[in-house]
Amino acid sequence: MHDDKAEVWQGTLALMVLKTLETLGPLHGYGVARRIEQTSGDRLSVNYGTIYPALLKLEQEGYIASDWGVSENNRRAKFYRLTRAGRRQVEREARDWARTTAILARFLAPEEGSS
Amino acid sequence: MSRMRVVRASLLRLLGTFAGSRRERELAEELESHLQLHIDDNIHAGMPPAEARRQALLTFGAMEAIKEQHRDRGGVPVLRHIGQDLRFAARLLRKAPGFSVTAIATIALAVGVNAAIFSILNAAALQSLPVPEGDRLATLAISFDGEGRRGVHGAPSMLSYPEYEAVRDQSRAFEGTLAFSPFNAVTLGGIEPRSVLATLASCNYFDVLRIRTSVGRGLNRGDCASGAPATVVLSDRLWRTAFAADPAVAGRTVLLNRSPFVVVGVTEAAFTGTQLVPEDLYVPVTLQQTIARDADWLAGANMSWLVVMGRIKPGASLASVQTDLGMIAARLTTTETPGRTVHLTAGRSTLSTMPEIRTIVLAIGSVILAAVALVLLMACANIANLLLARASARRREIAVRMALGAGRGRIVQQLMTESLLLAAIGGVGGFIAACWTSRTVVRFLLNHLPPGAWPMVFDPRPDWRVALYAVGLTTLTGLAFGLMPALQSTRRDLGLDFRDVTATDRRASRKLQNTLVTVQVAVCLILLLSAGLLARGLYRAQTLDPGISMKDVTIVSYDLANAGYKEPTAAALQRQVRERLGAIPGVRAVAQSSAMPLSDQHTETEFHFPGTDRRRHFEFSSVTPSYFDLLHIPIVRGRNFTAAEVESEAALIVTESTARRIWPGLEPLGQVLTLDRIDRPVVGVVRDAQVSRLGRTDEPYVFLPAGPDSQMRVQFLVAGIGAAPSAAPIRSVIASLDPQLAVDITRLEDNLEQWRAPSRLVAALSATLAILALVLACTGVFGTVAYTVSRRVREIGIRVALGAAHRDVLRLIVRQGMRPVVIGMAIGLLGAAAVSTVLANMLFGVSPHDPFSFVALPAVLFAIALLACYVPARRALRVEPTTALRTE
Repeated sequence: MHDDKAEVWQGTLALMVLKTLETLGPLHGYGVARRIEQTSGDRLSVNYGTIYPALLKLEQEGYIASDWGVSENNRRAKFYRLTRAGRRQVEREARDWARTTAILARFLAPEEGSS
Repeated sequence: MSRMRVVRASLLRLLGTFAGSRRERELAEELESHLQLHIDDNIHAGMPPAEARRQALLTFGAMEAIKEQHRDRGGVPVLRHIGQDLRFAARLLRKAPGFSVTAIATIALAVGVNAAIFSILNAAALQSLPVPEGDRLATLAISFDGEGRRGVHGAPSMLSYPEYEAVRDQSRAFEGTLAFSPFNAVTLGGIEPRSVLATLASCNYFDVLRIRTSVGRGLNRGDCASGAPATVVLSDRLWRTAFAADPAVAGRTVLLNRSPFVVVGVTEAAFTGTQLVPEDLYVPVTLQQTIARDADWLAGANMSWLVVMGRIKPGASLASVQTDLGMIAARLTTTETPGRTVHLTAGRSTLSTMPEIRTIVLAIGSVILAAVALVLLMACANIANLLLARASARRREIAVRMALGAGRGRIVQQLMTESLLLAAIGGVGGFIAACWTSRTVVRFLLNHLPPGAWPMVFDPRPDWRVALYAVGLTTLTGLAFGLMPALQSTRRDLGLDFRDVTATDRRASRKLQNTLVTVQVAVCLILLLSAGLLARGLYRAQTLDPGISMKDVTIVSYDLANAGYKEPTAAALQRQVRERLGAIPGVRAVAQSSAMPLSDQHTETEFHFPGTDRRRHFEFSSVTPSYFDLLHIPIVRGRNFTAAEVESEAALIVTESTARRIWPGLEPLGQVLTLDRIDRPVVGVVRDAQVSRLGRTDEPYVFLPAGPDSQMRVQFLVAGIGAAPSAAPIRSVIASLDPQLAVDITRLEDNLEQWRAPSRLVAALSATLAILALVLACTGVFGTVAYTVSRRVREIGIRVALGAAHRDVLRLIVRQGMRPVVIGMAIGLLGAAAVSTVLANMLFGVSPHDPFSFVALPAVLFAIALLACYVPARRALRVEPTTALRTE
């Protein structure tokens, strides 16, 4: 049960990370976590730390790459950026996600006619 | 996600498993920078630094858990845990060197012995022949359904020449088919005559086997053409020993059984034939009648005498060969003896492909393999015992780890890693030892074959099969001795009232342990007693008086049939040899006999009792009258053979026990036995002597006079005065009469060695196994008692605190520890009594139930077991009662 939930979370988290990087360009882990929290309108309160295993997984899959760099306030940080494969993946995932939500929305919507 | 991505990620994780501290440092750095960025933001938002840091940490989540998740994602968790476990296990093993060394040495010994035996069996029955692409060679066997007799020279599964031709010409799965008749003893002349083993080979023999020659050429098609000059190819060994490695040997003419053959080549040194016994020379199979004069085997379609081997075409399988042979067999069925079906089967060629040899090798091999597997099992039981004892000492550690949240599976994995690490170290040691010892042992055995045995070439090359066997054994061993203790020591549930659970557990496991000890002691005692009896028998064999004078006697033998003699010519030659040998200075006596005393020649035939239907088999020897005097066998009744009786061979001399057993209470002289329709009266009785088997005098044995008709098959015994007659004058005497006879000269005393060598080998083997078993049984007893004591420290403490005398407690523990030992000894004694009767043959008169061995050896075993019991029991008493009470 618990694991299933985590898996879903992992999947959506990956897409959110990719989308963030697509929108904002190269960014460090803290920035990504922060952005996700803000975008979700603080409804998604989650520990920032969970972002790191997700980043590692995406990097291993070759969707993102990382380099050490310097942040705007002069801190050394590891910056993640989207690779070409990553860009394609965002498109694909976003499309899939839209389709899935559309199907689910139709499924969950009250049946027309009866109500 | 595409499959490529998954593969890429898995590879990176696999690599990441071994990345180690660099990745760890980078992660720490990244997380640190994360926190700093967050703190900066918080301060920026107006928090005080301490609060900023606290908030950042709170939002981040459990730092260590995240790191662990990151590590798990970065590598393969199972592998990473194995790495951790291995390091931990290695540390533990280093901390308990006594235990580790005992366990590793035990495993190394057990796996080593098993792998060594297997490597020998592997070389004999599994490895393909040591020739180029030997794995593509198959050996054929023929068999029949239905009635009908068949001639056999060799083994029944061999083929006839027409059958070989059928396979050679009709097979489509073989690219070449060869045939040969192995082990034909022939006399090599033209040089110093000697007896050698000839292979009658088809002329494609060397081509199909892909054997090159170091000198000249091998056999070719021309050598088998009718009317071709007789040719021979020498083995490297014969070329070196008989021709002094003469590089110009090709073209020389030698005599084989008196016919001239031209040497055309010498085989490369590495090739020693396709059998366990190396061949000396190779002649075309078409010259069979030149070698064995009185037989024509080539023409016979119903005669088993050829080994047939085929080289399988590249890419073809053994199954396709089998289909191919099925069709050929069906065709042979229609042309051969009506009323029976022919079957042809093929097996990969090894040193023992022929079904007859294979059966023997596999039978002996599996018995020995079973014996050493038993030793391995004992070793496993022992280490399991030691581990159980250790696990009880580590209960606290395990309980703490489980209380801290380690799952049972995780702890079992860690305990199993320890076991497998032990097994692996021991297994590697054992395998290395096996590679080294199996070669040494085999070399030792081959160098100590009884005199007269054909030399064998045998090199147990350890290969992937042996390595696989060792790895398999090692893994099984680790699982076998590790799993039970691992499961048992993690079984406790913290929530349960586990005192009751462990109490029953304890009883069950103690029962198991006791049974293990009983079996070990029993097996150990059987091996120990066998070794002891054999050693006593051996000592007796060294000191035994065989009742005949073996000193200063030389045996002279040669094969007259191979040399082309017939009865009349043989009789004439032998008479002259007899006279001239007797005339050599220093010769005391000359005698002839068809079976040499204590040799491996045993002739037996059926005699009739005239006037009745009674018939009986007797072992016999044809001897000249001088035989009894030469060997100092006194004639106790009657007289020796007369000259007339020697001429007619119509008389008998029997031994005392023969007279006693065959005609009890009757006068043996004048009794008559019939052989070949000739009545032969008993004219004398000689004292019992061990002329046939060492240590046996009570079997019936009769002597016939060696007359002119026996001269083809009798050999000479020549006795000297003060020293055995030397070979040179004897050789020159015989060479002066027939220079082409291959003369064999040995000392009669050497025949004793034939009897001692096998019992020495069996004694050495059983002593080695017995010592191994003794060590195992003792550690077994020690381990069990140590375990029991460690579980009863509290009880002992209470007893001592309540005033029990140390002696009483000691007696209690020792008595319980010795109970399975005593039961095992009782079983072992019964087993040994049954087994030792089998050994009777090798005991030379020592009773199979020799009282000395049956009392002394169990006493020794008992004493050692007692010591193994006493040491841990003693240790328990040294524990302070107050400490003891607190342990559980």
